[in-house]
Amino acid sequence: MILYLVLVVGLIIAMLAGPYFLGRRRVSRAVNEPYECGIVPVGSAQYRVPIPFYLFAIFFVIFDLEAVFLYAWSVAVKEVGWAGFIEALVFIVILLVALLYLWRMGALDWRTTRQKRDRARVQPR
Amino acid sequence: MTIEELIALVPLLVVASISVILMLVVSFVRHHRLISLITLAGFIAAGIMVFQSMGQPAIQITPLIILDDFSRFFIVMTCFASVPAVLLAYDYLRRSEDLKEEYYMLLSLAVLGAVVLAASNHFASFFIGVELLSVSLFAMVGYMVHGEHKRVSTLEASIKYMILSGVSSSFLLFGVALIYLNFGVLTFEGIQQKILNGTLNGYGMMGIAMLLIGVGFKLSWVPFHMWTPDVYEGAPVPVTAFLATISKVIVFALGLRFLHESGALGLFNVQAALAFIGVLSMLVGNGLALMQDNLKRLLAYSSIAHFGYLIIALIAASSASATNKALAMEAVGFYLVAYVVTTWVAFGALSALSQPEHGIEAENLKDYRGLFWQRPWLAAIFSVALLSLAGVPLTAGFIAKFYVFAAGASYTLWFLLGILIISSAIGLYYYLKVIMEMCKPAEDENDFQKAAIPFENKLILLVMTAFVLYLGISPQALIESLNSAIKVLM
Repeated sequence: MILYLVLVVGLIIAMLAGPYFLGRRRVSRAVNEPYECGIVPVGSAQYRVPIPFYLFAIFFVIFDLEAVFLYAWSVAVKEVGWAGFIEALVFIVILLVALLYLWRMGALDWRTTRQKRDRARVQPR
Repeated sequence: MTIEELIALVPLLVVASISVILMLVVSFVRHHRLISLITLAGFIAAGIMVFQSMGQPAIQITPLIILDDFSRFFIVMTCFASVPAVLLAYDYLRRSEDLKEEYYMLLSLAVLGAVVLAASNHFASFFIGVELLSVSLFAMVGYMVHGEHKRVSTLEASIKYMILSGVSSSFLLFGVALIYLNFGVLTFEGIQQKILNGTLNGYGMMGIAMLLIGVGFKLSWVPFHMWTPDVYEGAPVPVTAFLATISKVIVFALGLRFLHESGALGLFNVQAALAFIGVLSMLVGNGLALMQDNLKRLLAYSSIAHFGYLIIALIAASSASATNKALAMEAVGFYLVAYVVTTWVAFGALSALSQPEHGIEAENLKDYRGLFWQRPWLAAIFSVALLSLAGVPLTAGFIAKFYVFAAGASYTLWFLLGILIISSAIGLYYYLKVIMEMCKPAEDENDFQKAAIPFENKLILLVMTAFVLYLGISPQALIESLNSAIKVLM
């Protein structure tokens, strides 16, 4: 068992160290690219993805908490009857209105303000 | 829920539906005037509906909300006193470059919180109301953060208010939890039973103390007052006025209902704590106002002092004799109304001279130099407000202070009344200092005093000044409606 472990580690070390001593080093532009013989990458991999945490929070409140409350309602749906149904309806309608408002405000538009501005510049109305 | 309960609840539903309707409308058309008119119509409709139902028997709707004459009185006051918040803001926002319509949603949510607070006699609705009110106020205080001419201190004020309000809410919630631990009930009246039975122990006392701290933050009583001047200064004038009037007055009315209905007001510890806070508020509020050159900060300190005066009437409301108790409660009610009306005049005048399009508000004392020569009517109206705040006869503030004095004398609170006299004398100095500044000869270069005053602003100034003088000259009508309002608490 222990011998096996030593062999595995030794093999890995040998495989990693072997090319370092045996191989020759060549310096050219293409070598350091991620895909040496494939699609040429464009731009940097370190660009910024807009993550509007504030909007995440709002959508979380709208959808997740809606699910939480509706789940509680679903357990007692027979007991609370029509009054409960109407109250749940009011709750859902208010959340839907909030969603509509957010949508019209452009909250579902997942771009930075800069990207929106650039787009607007490219396509004038 | 029966149909009668539903009908009684309609005004609250109207206020609640304003913000939903506004969201729907804003989704399709952004029309500033339309939005403000909808808000205005909602407040006035709810106010009139509740006013019509004054005098009807009390209705308990679910364990959370009670509609009796006391809550109806304060709901009516909230609805009508929010009208200036719409009108002043309409003018203020029209001249600024921020998003305009969202302000009215926040305002209607804040008013909903105030209305719920006025009608609550259960800790759950108490906490919901406080949170609705203060969470909307965070955003309102920081409303003017965009645009070219944004005010620098706005964001600071908003964050300060948010953190301190969050802290005070946690005190409130912990207090409620401790009270529940002791008594096992959450209704105010249920607690009264338990206190009479002698179940009060250290946990309950601690809970009541925590509640007092939480309420003290909202009312900016003295050890908890540090946020007040900064928030007043940073917020836009209409929001400052809303914060100074409705949000404080409703919390005070609720505090009166809680302390009275739960019987906690009769406890010696509570009275001692209130007296201590009251003395500090009166002295520190008036003392710090002396140093101020900034009018908004000055009004902030003056409001701290005013809520210190009110504590005298609050303590006197624990009197055993029914007449004295009624007198003290009338004093609280009258003082709150007089304070709201007067504060609206003062902030209306401030708003009349402000220039939101340049991000400037007329908050420095030197902006008022020579106002009597440039704009005699505005200066006269502002002087009425200041004199009413100081408690000079013929204004509402005098009758209110007189009432508080009578209530305190009936309960023989001589030490507190002595402090009241001393601090009123200090207060007179800084109110008169502003009037003196307005009387000085005008300087040549003073842009503040030249701009035309918008119609809405004039309307508010005239109506509210008329109220101040009317209440000061013939207070009888208000006293009668207060009589019926406090009867339910007796």
